[in-house]
Amino acid sequence: MDKLKLPDMDYVALLPMLALFVAACLGVIIEALVPRRFRNIIQLVLSIVALAVAMFFVVKQSGEVVASKALTAGGAIMIDHAALFLQGALIVLGFVALLLFGERSLEFGGPFVAQAAVTVGSERDREQTGRELGSTETFPLALFSLSGMLLFVSANDLLTMFVALEVFSLPLYLLCALARRKRLLSQESALKYFLLGAYASAFFLFGVAMVYGFAKAVDFKAIHAEALLGEGNSLLLIIGLALLAIGLLFKVAAAPFHVWTPDVYQGAPTPVTAFMASCTKVAAFGGLLRVLYVGFDGLGWQFTPVLGAIAALTVLVGSILAVTQTDLKRLLAYSSVANAGYILIGVIAGQQLGLTSVLFYLVAYGFTVIAAFALISLVRDADGEATHLSRWAGLGARSPLYAGIFTFILLAFAGIPLTSGFIAKLSVFGAAIDGGQTWLVIIGVITSIILAFPYLRVVVMMWLSEPGESTPSVSIPGGLTSTALGIGTLATLVFGVVPGPLLDLAEKASSFVR
Amino acid sequence: MNPTLADFGHDNGWIVALKVVGVFVFLVVMTLFTIWYERKVVARMQVRPGPNRHGPFGLLQSLADGLKLAFKEDIMPLKADRVVFFLAPVISTVCAFTAFAIIPFGPFVSIFGQKTPLQLTDIPVAVLLVLACSGLGIYGIVLSGWASGSTYPLLGGLRSSAQMISYEVAMGLSIVAVFMMAGTMSTSEIVNAQAKGGQGELFGFEFTYPGWYVLLLLPSFVIYAISAVGETNRAPFDLPEAESELVGGFHTEYSSLKFALFFLAEYINMVTVSALATTLFLGGWRAPWPITQLGPWVNQGWWPLLWFTIKLLILLFVFVWLRGTLPRLRYDQFMRFGWKVLIPASLIWILALAGFKTMNNENLPGWQRGLWIGGFAVILLAILLWPRKRPAPKLPLEEEVAQRPEGSFPLPPIDLQVPVSPRAKRITADREPVQ
Amino acid sequence: MIDVSWGEQVVFYILAPIAVIGALGMVMARNAVHSALWLVLTMLSLGVFYIVQAGPFIGMVQIIVYTGAIMMLFLFVLMLVGRDASDSVIETLRGQKVAAIALGVGLGVLLGTGLYRGTVDLTPVGLAEANKNGNVQGLASLIFTKYVWAFEVTSALLISAAVGAMILAHVERRKDERIGQAAMMKERFLPGNYPGPKPGPGVYATSNSVATPAKLPDGNPAQRSISPILPLRELEPAEKADKHTLTGGHQS
Repeated sequence: MDKLKLPDMDYVALLPMLALFVAACLGVIIEALVPRRFRNIIQLVLSIVALAVAMFFVVKQSGEVVASKALTAGGAIMIDHAALFLQGALIVLGFVALLLFGERSLEFGGPFVAQAAVTVGSERDREQTGRELGSTETFPLALFSLSGMLLFVSANDLLTMFVALEVFSLPLYLLCALARRKRLLSQESALKYFLLGAYASAFFLFGVAMVYGFAKAVDFKAIHAEALLGEGNSLLLIIGLALLAIGLLFKVAAAPFHVWTPDVYQGAPTPVTAFMASCTKVAAFGGLLRVLYVGFDGLGWQFTPVLGAIAALTVLVGSILAVTQTDLKRLLAYSSVANAGYILIGVIAGQQLGLTSVLFYLVAYGFTVIAAFALISLVRDADGEATHLSRWAGLGARSPLYAGIFTFILLAFAGIPLTSGFIAKLSVFGAAIDGGQTWLVIIGVITSIILAFPYLRVVVMMWLSEPGESTPSVSIPGGLTSTALGIGTLATLVFGVVPGPLLDLAEKASSFVR
Repeated sequence: MNPTLADFGHDNGWIVALKVVGVFVFLVVMTLFTIWYERKVVARMQVRPGPNRHGPFGLLQSLADGLKLAFKEDIMPLKADRVVFFLAPVISTVCAFTAFAIIPFGPFVSIFGQKTPLQLTDIPVAVLLVLACSGLGIYGIVLSGWASGSTYPLLGGLRSSAQMISYEVAMGLSIVAVFMMAGTMSTSEIVNAQAKGGQGELFGFEFTYPGWYVLLLLPSFVIYAISAVGETNRAPFDLPEAESELVGGFHTEYSSLKFALFFLAEYINMVTVSALATTLFLGGWRAPWPITQLGPWVNQGWWPLLWFTIKLLILLFVFVWLRGTLPRLRYDQFMRFGWKVLIPASLIWILALAGFKTMNNENLPGWQRGLWIGGFAVILLAILLWPRKRPAPKLPLEEEVAQRPEGSFPLPPIDLQVPVSPRAKRITADREPVQ
Repeated sequence: MIDVSWGEQVVFYILAPIAVIGALGMVMARNAVHSALWLVLTMLSLGVFYIVQAGPFIGMVQIIVYTGAIMMLFLFVLMLVGRDASDSVIETLRGQKVAAIALGVGLGVLLGTGLYRGTVDLTPVGLAEANKNGNVQGLASLIFTKYVWAFEVTSALLISAAVGAMILAHVERRKDERIGQAAMMKERFLPGNYPGPKPGPGVYATSNSVATPAKLPDGNPAQRSISPILPLRELEPAEKADKHTLTGGHQS
């Protein structure tokens, strides 16, 4: 038998992933060894250090990308410009979201339940809600999830991609179940997310099998080559792509695979919702981009009409259903569905312009959405967060500063100029017109107008209603939430006023290596 | 010429049929024999004669018992799930028989002029087949417990499923070391791999070490042996049928032939794990060292069947010995032992073995080897000898008694002289007083 | 046409219907344990298919891991749930079942025909090459070269799963709630506690109800012989009346 030749590993290129992975493992050990009251701070510092290390190496790598050396770990990982941009975006957004994880000043013990295994509503449960420190396993879980996301956006074959998909999804399912308040809702959301997520993963895996049947390989280069060659029956390839797309579109919450979104966004603890809304979207779109641009480019974009229809459906469903919502978290969930549709329009636009616009949109939206959820976590009453729309009436009079920030964020979602949302939508629509998808742009503009209605309704409610007795107070945020809120808001403003640097960065990053 | 993987799959239909019948008969006879053997050995340990009425030395006792069992009334509990209740013993027995298909009894023999290996079949993943069969065999126990529709069997079924899954992990891990040494999972080739010892060198001495894996992989063998007892539900690990807690465990509601099938399956499983231990660790059908000096004929033809059976019986004796000596474990201690001792120990041992093999492959210089081995040993010792919390100093008995709160139960004086029972007076009078 | 050996065909035509029946049975069975058993049947058949199709290792792993361990844990949970627990058949959304069946069958037909058309004129290649050095060895060389990263990353998945199981299922006891065997024994023998087993209820010619106390040597009722969970109630006059059991039913 011939001797095995072990693959070359470019450990520097893999370091961002390794750093997060090692920190997560350390976090698990910390859970076992450190007393409960020190865990939060130690886990937070550890996570931030790991993210800083990861970011450092991502930045370091970005200056040294060479197409011939980008492939590593036995051909499983491709560290190209786009991968590095997405990894960087994930790390930064993950950092901001993790700040929310560590917040302990809004509520005793933080936003997570102390012991998720205690039966909801039992004596013990009532006892722990107010008195016990929250679980800190959330940090290692979030880090595992983030390392999976980093792998997901840089995976060079479908098998690695599938493993990464599972690695970043499983911790998310768990995190959803850990809310301190409204625990039944939280557990229900976790179960729904888990079941549907597992179902979507099955579709993805089935798709991988089909593609393998066609291309005799699962790496994107081989798939591309086989598709270009066009030999044999490409039916398998098309079925495979359709099934892969179902798996990925589930993750980005595109209609009709979006049904989990409102329930999960509403039920999950708000920091986790922020984490999901920003990072999962970046990772899932990163994966989708790679699959479409690198693997299935050879199909000559025959799938554009189908994806276009899905994008149109997504923006329509997201915007119309957002109008009918009465819960702020659900409203933001539908808005996130609609935003997934806009990003999808950018994906369909194709070419470098489309890619640039998508990358920009992902980062801009990520920051804004984290700020939005950070603010939602501030408005609370005795039962925790007050997310019903009617409760926000008259908030402008109670605390004009936070109402003002929230107004600004909502305007950014609506795409008003001087916010990052405007630039993002503009670039996506511009790319779509360039790519000959004018009909999508028309639908996009119409739905943007529809979507502006629920946002403005909230604004009107906050400023033009009198504060009633049921209007909750706005808690004074601790340092962590303020930082997250500040970063998110500032980014929304800066990317809206001077989008140049980020756009340049995105443009430079908008090239995949095959 | 020893059989290898390539020699299988060429037999005639009738030879295959003959081998199948042979394995079946072997197992049934072994079961009947083992029951007698067990009763006889346990009796000897307890200083009583044991079965001695039927046939020479009571050898036909188990046959008589089996016949009696078959003619008992077959009871179907009212609340039982009829189909599953019937299927459970069948599953148990079928799995038990199937696992034996890959056990090598000997080298090539000639059956009516056809040259064929003395083994039903062999596949590249033969040992995994045994694991798969034992994994499926659990269904028999679990389902019987559930289908009986009664509490004790259900508890027994649950216990056994937890127990067998846990110990299957340890068992699988212990076998990994054998795969690593032999480089194959086929049983016939594992036996071949143990045929020859190797040349070793330690501190300048060259020596030939024997090929049996029980010597080379002693930790694996120990772990395998322990988990095999757990896997077969035998004492001291017979918690699924702990009489003092669960009446009869999973088979409480079974009677007649269905019960007989469970009985059969349990003993066949015992034979199977012993046979697998023989194959994996004790050199299979090969004769041990002093006998091999008699000439090459001891490892040819039908002779190896004898060595194989002797090894098997020795292992079965150990099973009986354990049963005769050890009390049953408490359930939580038993599970803790499986998960926190056996499995980590297996993993560390596999790691060490892999490291050793890698060092051999890489041809490291001696001092580097010493460094690695020493480092590993230091870490291991540090973990094992890590200082624990010192327990509170033990008070002398008087002080402890003095500390008991008011109103406690009275204690007998420590120097209590128990008066001699009047009935025993005659015997004790002859004895020297203990002083 | 693909050349399929005689034995493989026999195995296929026996096991394929069984696998399909198992899958259908799993969906249709009312009882959760039966449902799981049907699934076991399907998985077992699939395992045998893998073995027959020159993947002995993956077939065995399918049987050991999925059938032997995972489904067993499933059964474990289902048994704890109780044997009479059946699915509720009430639909929360009207017409959901019909729509689900129609869509499911539609998807199945779509994928099935697509697969058939996609593979009907394909010639399988590369099996002999993949198994050249042996099935297990071939798998190992792939896992440790091309897919080594995916293989290693799976450990992250396992750690997450383990941590998740701990979070969702393990209730940490507080220090004062943890009682060891020794402490329990001490407590049992503390003054005021009765360390021995409690006496059973009284059994008399007139009554053998669990509510009847046993009698102490001095003739008083033993309070320990009655379970504290038994409710107290007044006897009705009919129950209180002398039933003449001692006199054999004859009124004296």
